[in-house]
Amino acid sequence: MNTIHSTAIISPKAKLGGNIEIAPFVLIHDDVEIGDGCYIGPHATINNGARIGKDVKIYQGASISHIPQHKKYDNEPTTCVIGDNTTIHEFASIHRGADTGKTELGKNVLIMAYAHVAHDCRIGDHCILSNAVQLAGFTHIDEWAIIGGSVPVHQFTRIGRHAMIGDGYKVGRDVLPYTLAAGEPLGYYGLNYVGLKRRGFTEEQILSLKKVYSIVYDPQLNVTQAKEKLLEEMPGDPFAIEITDFINNSKRGIITR
Amino acid sequence: MTNIHSTAVVSPKALLGENITVAPFAVIYENTEIGDNCSIGPGAVIYPYTTIGNNVKIAHSASIGHIPQDLKFKNEITYCKIGSNSVIHEFVTIHRGTTANGETVIGEEAYLMAYCHIAHDCIIKEKVTIANCAQVAGHVIIERNAVIGGLAKIKQFCRIGKFCMIQGGRSVPKDVPHYILAGEGRLQFGGLNKVGLRRNGFTEEQISTIKRVYFLLYGSNLNVTQAKEKIMAEFPGDPFSNEIVSFINESKSGII
Repeated sequence: MNTIHSTAIISPKAKLGGNIEIAPFVLIHDDVEIGDGCYIGPHATINNGARIGKDVKIYQGASISHIPQHKKYDNEPTTCVIGDNTTIHEFASIHRGADTGKTELGKNVLIMAYAHVAHDCRIGDHCILSNAVQLAGFTHIDEWAIIGGSVPVHQFTRIGRHAMIGDGYKVGRDVLPYTLAAGEPLGYYGLNYVGLKRRGFTEEQILSLKKVYSIVYDPQLNVTQAKEKLLEEMPGDPFAIEITDFINNSKRGIITR
Repeated sequence: MTNIHSTAVVSPKALLGENITVAPFAVIYENTEIGDNCSIGPGAVIYPYTTIGNNVKIAHSASIGHIPQDLKFKNEITYCKIGSNSVIHEFVTIHRGTTANGETVIGEEAYLMAYCHIAHDCIIKEKVTIANCAQVAGHVIIERNAVIGGLAKIKQFCRIGKFCMIQGGRSVPKDVPHYILAGEGRLQFGGLNKVGLRRNGFTEEQISTIKRVYFLLYGSNLNVTQAKEKIMAEFPGDPFSNEIVSFINESKSGII
């Protein structure tokens, strides 16, 4: 059974699952779907286009599926998809899609207070965005990545899986998977050993990744030469292939050492 | 006289003192305690297990005692305490503790400006000022009369010494000893917080002693261990040297 506070305003057209708790002064618009077991905190607003999974927690004053901050957007019916078990803290704002039609957050994502996720962003499962992280449009963050507090991320940037960005640095180029990034300008700071071990990567896998990155970030080689060397020295290695593909698909270029 | 706006939602299980003002659309949950003469601004929310002292002003949409942003948190009962005479501005978020410390504490006469965030298990002592958008991570200790500049970020488990001042926009990765300014380039010693110390009634003599202690720590070519030995040798029994040396000894993250 749903528990809805009498001061909440909920469109009769909104599709609500079961066992949902809605706090005082929540506003839910027409074209909204909310799955079972969700909690919506006080003063949160769920705008048109929101597609919220199960057991999602949205806290005070958060704004979900708001119209994008994008001048070309002309009220097209786009969506904002939020995966199961995701938590969105106070005053976070998540905009719905514009050009690609969809902003998408995966499952078990944690968005901390004041963070902003712009139109057309894709955030993978288990990612963490710390307080006041500001993602520009079209940013892709792959699964298990962690972004430190107050980090701004440039539009169209991609952050690879299991990567971690230090508090307060600026992300202007793509960050390769499994790495730590910090410094001004943002640079490669080694492998995310602690994260990889916590998530069950074996010593062998970590060694192999270490070898890949010793080639990618070899100061004697440019990116093209590094890719050739990877192909030569580690043919068929799944990490070498993954990281080469990531570099080839990078729109903004990758961060340097 | 207590004045609660008709649109505010106040749990009958909240314990309210006298002469409290609650603005429109504010929400006060059960298991909260609010002292006398407090004002709760429009849209502000006071969550369960929060205790607020007397004469506290909480502005528009502030969020007090929300559950922590810690993946280990499993809805245990923990607390958030706000000291008397504190001022909390718009959209500030203060989270309650986790089982690690059990509570988040804001001391008396704290001044928290708009958008600042105080995470779980922080201990903020009395008369601390935190400027706009400063983000304080979990388990941080800020000692009395410290001033944190706008947009500063303080890493988890850091300790900020008393009467310190942190430059705006800085990331604080390590502990900051008492009485100093921290800023410029990589976060480092930026001289004594003389203006702050004078305003708070420190004598010129006391300031000169603190200055000489920090000269040994930061102005000589000694490493931290050697500096500690020299401070103890040159200022035996001096309260400031004892205080600063014990700060260094207790530091978990190292000092700037």
